Parts: sequence; C-alpha cells; structure tokens
Amino acid sequence: MLSEIDVLKPRDLDDALDMLHENPNGLKIVAGGSDIIVQLRDGVIKPSRLLNILPVKELRYVRKSGDRVQIGALATYNDIVTSRLTLDHAWPLVQAAKQIGAIQLQNTATLGGNLGNASPAGDSLPPLYALDAVVVTQSKVGKREIPIEQFFTWYRKTALKPDELIVAVHFKALAEDDRGAYMKLGLREANAISIVDVATVLRGRSSGETFDEARVALGAVAPNIRRARACEQALTHKPITREIMKNAATLAVQDAVPIDDIRGSAQYRKDVVVSLVYESLDEAIFG
Amino acid sequence: MPVAIGEMPLRIERTVSFKLNGQPVTVRCPPAYTLLEVLREQLHVTGPKEDCAKGECGACTVIKDGAPVCSCLVLISQAEGSEIITSEGLVKDGRLNPVQNAFLDEGAVQCGHCIPGMIVSASALLMRNPNPTLDEIRTALSGNLCRCTGYSKIIAAVQEAAKNWRQ
Repeated sequence: MLSEIDVLKPRDLDDALDMLHENPNGLKIVAGGSDIIVQLRDGVIKPSRLLNILPVKELRYVRKSGDRVQIGALATYNDIVTSRLTLDHAWPLVQAAKQIGAIQLQNTATLGGNLGNASPAGDSLPPLYALDAVVVTQSKVGKREIPIEQFFTWYRKTALKPDELIVAVHFKALAEDDRGAYMKLGLREANAISIVDVATVLRGRSSGETFDEARVALGAVAPNIRRARACEQALTHKPITREIMKNAATLAVQDAVPIDDIRGSAQYRKDVVVSLVYESLDEAIFG
Repeated sequence: MPVAIGEMPLRIERTVSFKLNGQPVTVRCPPAYTLLEVLREQLHVTGPKEDCAKGECGACTVIKDGAPVCSCLVLISQAEGSEIITSEGLVKDGRLNPVQNAFLDEGAVQCGHCIPGMIVSASALLMRNPNPTLDEIRTALSGNLCRCTGYSKIIAAVQEAAKNWRQ
C-alpha cells in the first residue's frame, strides 16, 4: 500500500549518505521516479521507505573537467539534450536521451536513475558503454570509481552497495575527429521501449577512416548491455569501408543473446542487431 | 469487510507545501502518493487525468517549475516547494488562454479526455518557444495521446494559438 510508505527527504548529499548509512537495507532510492513509481504501483517492489534524492541539488550538473565529461546523477535527459557540452563531446548519449520517452519524461527522468534501475533496455546505457564511462558511487566511507562494465553485474543487478548512492558518471570527451552514433528500434518512433539499441564510438583516428579503438554496445539483447567484441576488432587499425562495416555488423550477432518477448522474437532481435550496427556505423562515419 | 482496529493498516502522513496555479497550498497526505492522486482526490483539481499511470499517455501532464511533466510519475513529496500549473491555472481572470481558445475555435476537441494534458503541453511549449515549427509542435505533443481526433486539428489549434500568443 502506497499509504504505508514513508519518504525521507535529505537536505543535502551528506544528509542523504547519513540516511543510507543508518538504514543500510531499508531504503529504496528515488531520483526522477519515472521507473520506481510504476514499480511501486504494480507491486514489483515493496519498500517500507523511500529516499527521495531530488533535493540533493548538487548532483544536478553537466560539466567538463580536463578532457572528461562529468554528469551528475540527477542530470535529467532534458539537461543532457540541451547542453552544448554533451552535444559537442557526447553526442551518442544526446541521441539516446532525445529518444527516451516524451518531453514529460525527459524533464524528470535522470541519468543516475537509469543506471540504478539497471534495465537491459535502459537507453542511456549503450552510449555510456561505448563512451567507456566510469560510474562514481559514494557512501559515508568514501567514493568508488567503477568502470561501467563492472557496475552492471547481471539482469537488473549492479555493484552498488546498500549504503551507497550513484553520484556521477564521467568519460573521456569525444574529440572532433572521433566518431559515434546511437540507434534505437522501438515498436514506434516516440515513447517506445527499445527492441534493440546500439551505440558506436570510434576513437584515435589516423589517416582516413582508420581508428585505434572501437566500442560497439548492444542494448536489450542480453541480461545487461553487451559489447560486441569481434565487431569492434574488425573495425580497428584499417581504413573502414562499407565492406568492413558490413562484415563487422554481421560479427556483432556473436555477442547478442536475446530472448523472445512481447516486443520481438530472439531471431528478429539478432537480425535487427546486424542492421542497427551497420546503420550506426554508417551514421557515425558518413553522417 | 470490517477490519478490526488492531489490524488497521498503518497510514503514514506528511505535510507538503507547494504553489498550485499561483496559490500556496499545504496538504497532509501519505508522502508516496503521486502528485496526480493528491491533485484530483484531495485538492479536487480534475484537469489532469489518470489513464496509463506509466508516463506514456500524457493525460496527467502539469507544468512543474516551468517544465511539462507527468503528474502520475511525481511523488507528492517531490512537489515540495515547487510551482505546479494545471489546465485550470491557465485561465486568467476568467479568460481562457490562447491555446484553450484555439482548441475551441479549431474544433480540436472530440471526447475531451486528453485535452487538458494537450493544452498544458502546448502552453508549456509556447511559454518557452512562442514561434514553434510544425516539427517542434509535433515533438512537444508526442507524449500526449489522443484516440479520437487524429491530431490534425490539435496541431492546427496550436499553430493558431502561437499567432495569438505572440501578440
């Protein structure tokens, strides 16, 4: 019953960390609320107390420090879409943020919330994998910097400890010579949960379209986000042609282990992976 | 079935203050109730509607601190200190705002159920961008579902409203 749930309201970050420390197992963290409120109403989760971290305003920022983009856990998708900084240095994430729900959701849903909810169809996650992001968590004891691939441990499971809060994400800013794109297929264009989504980042460009590093991340095709390793290898250290892109896209299927569900069959998802990886590379390289 | 006193479920209540359509309000209610529930059931402001309760249909759209949000996905405790505007609050001195008038003039309303949300989303758009393109109007309304009108007259009404908004 929603009427039996209390909501704690911290004054600031220290206060929130104190509350988590004092209630190590009894608090469910709420940021924007767009996932949690649905789960509460459906009875999927039954916490006795919620920790509403929206008042912790110091966690709402998008900034650059040295060559790294830093995004606070309470930055909303709208903050990401409207920031010049993310547009210039993290455009695959902007492309994802633009397609997450409608404006009403983009105004409330937060990046930290998408990380904490840990859905395999969380649209901000493939771009963060492709950008090689680090998740920063904090407790009264101190901060931890966790590479994103270690942060997500399994289906809806993360490395976050009960007394910790996700406070930020940071990653190396994309440079002008870098390439990247995000592509999503939903059941319709607006407000749809991803059937498959793909983020691609290519860095370290030398002559022509030759790159030192490729990261291709697949969403909604496994219990958590997967990197397409064979695909990545096929893209590095040689000039990328359409032939190479086609071959790399085919290899991406090796890392997809999708299930049949209401939004599409496993086989359909595998076919979509090939198309979306190709299209995202096409968009990244040829615009 | 009657419930014995000893088995009465625990009900937690907290006090929340915010501004609703320009007026300060204070409510006492369970803090995990949604803003939508409190607006409708406790404050009897029934412009915002509950349809999907998942943030997909936009019938519950209100403006919170200048931005359109789904009031079904905001806890009442998250509304503390905020400024909320519903379709009722867009009426000034008994006069409809340009969006409300344009919806009437263009015949953009059929069953009417989605209309308060549509009007709030459209007004929020014109507040920050009084000269929107067709694409910007469509995007701004992409989170508001209508099952009757086919949207054409709604879009036309917002274009018409934009003209009057700028004057």
